[in-house]
Amino acid sequence: MYNIKARGVLIEGNKSYHDITRDITNPLLAKRTPSWWWITAFFASAMLAWGIWGFYNTISVGIGTWGLNNSVSWGWAIINFVWWIGIGHAGTAFSIFLLVLHQKWRTSINRAAEAMTIFAVMAAGMFPLIHMGRIWNGFFIFPYPNTRGPLWDNFNSPLFWDVVAISTYLTASFLFWYVGMMPDFATIRERTTSKIKKSIYNVLSFGWVGSARGWLRFESAALLMGGLTAPLVISVHSIVATDFAAGVVPGWHSTIFPPFFVVGAIFSGFAMVLTLMIIVRKVYKYEEYVTKKHLDAITRILTFVSLIMGVAYISEIFVAWYSDSPYEMFVFFKNRAVGEYAYAYWAMITFNALMPQLFWFKKIRQNITIVFIISIFINVGMWYERFVIVVTSLSKTWLPSTWHGYSPTATEIAIYIGTIGFFILGILLFLRFLPMMAISELKGINKETSIVTKNSENHE
Amino acid sequence: MNNKNQILGVFDDPDVVTDAVKVLVKHDVKIKDVFSPFPLEHVWELLKLKTRIPYATFIYGVLGTSSVFAFLYWTSVTDYPLTFGGKPHLSLSFVIIMFVLTILFGVVLTLATLLIREKMWPGKNNPLPDHRSMDDKFVIVIEQGRDMDEKEIQKINELLKQNGAVEVNRSNV
Repeated sequence: MYNIKARGVLIEGNKSYHDITRDITNPLLAKRTPSWWWITAFFASAMLAWGIWGFYNTISVGIGTWGLNNSVSWGWAIINFVWWIGIGHAGTAFSIFLLVLHQKWRTSINRAAEAMTIFAVMAAGMFPLIHMGRIWNGFFIFPYPNTRGPLWDNFNSPLFWDVVAISTYLTASFLFWYVGMMPDFATIRERTTSKIKKSIYNVLSFGWVGSARGWLRFESAALLMGGLTAPLVISVHSIVATDFAAGVVPGWHSTIFPPFFVVGAIFSGFAMVLTLMIIVRKVYKYEEYVTKKHLDAITRILTFVSLIMGVAYISEIFVAWYSDSPYEMFVFFKNRAVGEYAYAYWAMITFNALMPQLFWFKKIRQNITIVFIISIFINVGMWYERFVIVVTSLSKTWLPSTWHGYSPTATEIAIYIGTIGFFILGILLFLRFLPMMAISELKGINKETSIVTKNSENHE
Repeated sequence: MNNKNQILGVFDDPDVVTDAVKVLVKHDVKIKDVFSPFPLEHVWELLKLKTRIPYATFIYGVLGTSSVFAFLYWTSVTDYPLTFGGKPHLSLSFVIIMFVLTILFGVVLTLATLLIREKMWPGKNNPLPDHRSMDDKFVIVIEQGRDMDEKEIQKINELLKQNGAVEVNRSNV
């Protein structure tokens, strides 16, 4: 049907099944936590502590501690929210899209990408919550029988769709991630010699044994759950985009927004996966599992997605000119390209549309250091994209008398840094206690993609 | 699980174990189960195993779509109709919430079905016939019936050995 060897050997070093079990479970069964882990965890906790101060400040004093004003009523909170949601798109994109496309190279990366999704979406969820100001009234967003009529939510509002879409996305991604880990928990349960770890991993594994009937049901359920979650990747960020596109603000009121946001989300998510996997393969010496070919495949996707981003930027400019609306033209030609936020606009163009084009050169794709640096720049670039969309449009709208600048306060910066700390801490806990690669899936692809024997062809 | 004696054929290659299952099925040996560290699709076909989980998921989806629509209709049209900007109460944009919550229904209930059908729960003590089947071994389990005589058992042992079993063990788990 298709050439399964197109990506070459996926697990290098002619590993046996036992080697795979040993390599993946050893770091989490080790008694000693490595010192780099404690150092990183310390810094991440410090960041989180500062974030908690920001939270406390916002809740005890109010939204007045932020740099928002009547014109720029959305600031860093929505920028960071969209940024984190975007990063949170990689896990499902990796797991499901590549599963559907029979891309077997996903196996050594999908687990970590899914973990990234969970923590990124949780980090994103904090922003709408804290932006409410009166966080103790947060349950107002859910439709429940209340004493006000009962007065229900406005089910036609994109902001309510957001609530539904993101909580569904978090739930579905978490369940899919967890189900995938059950067989691996069982593997750890059988491998560990410590009684405490054995009972903990037994609880986590739900008593999985890996019988033929069990695997059949497991595969069927996992595929269905994955297949159902896949459309959420498209819908979540489309809905986030309608938060903007449903408004009439110049620069936002555009039908290109939903696909543009989805592509941007996959772009930043894949870039974050690249950043993370380059660190993980280096630190855990997993170069044989996450090979250069894996990284090469991700960079190729990034090149393509970056081209779509470039086309989206160009078409936005074209439509602004073609619309003949002075307000639209002002946003793009005066406010964004040459205005006081021009640095952000050009950073966005450079980091998202131009810099990833360097991946056309094989020499650059092969150089892990440069790939790592570019992946970080993409993440920064995607942050600037959201900054450009939110701040440039809001700061100068229809009436010049309402024009107002925006700069974040320490509280807003603290909350952002705090969510980064939370994310890093979450990833660290994942790396320490959970199987960071899908052991059973790696074993499943090992023979047909990585080991060549006389018997290999019989069962294709 | 039960106290019956079982014959375990231990293999160390997924293709060899699949071939062995094929031979055993041809010789009318009743295979109770095959334990493996990863899914073996050909074994399901040989053992004629089927699952109806996809049908269940479809029903959950239908249930999700219709119940969410019923809820939205009841809240926005019947119970407390509020006019926002002159827009109709029964709105086409209900479709977004219906779409998302259908997925939620499908995912959560499919998982619940898997756990119920497989009788899995946190902390269940489920002994494995051979704990290496979680690592690198593939184990064919054949139940040793009361009516089996020594000769029959011998034949099964021979079949397993001839078809590439690295070990043939007994277990009463």
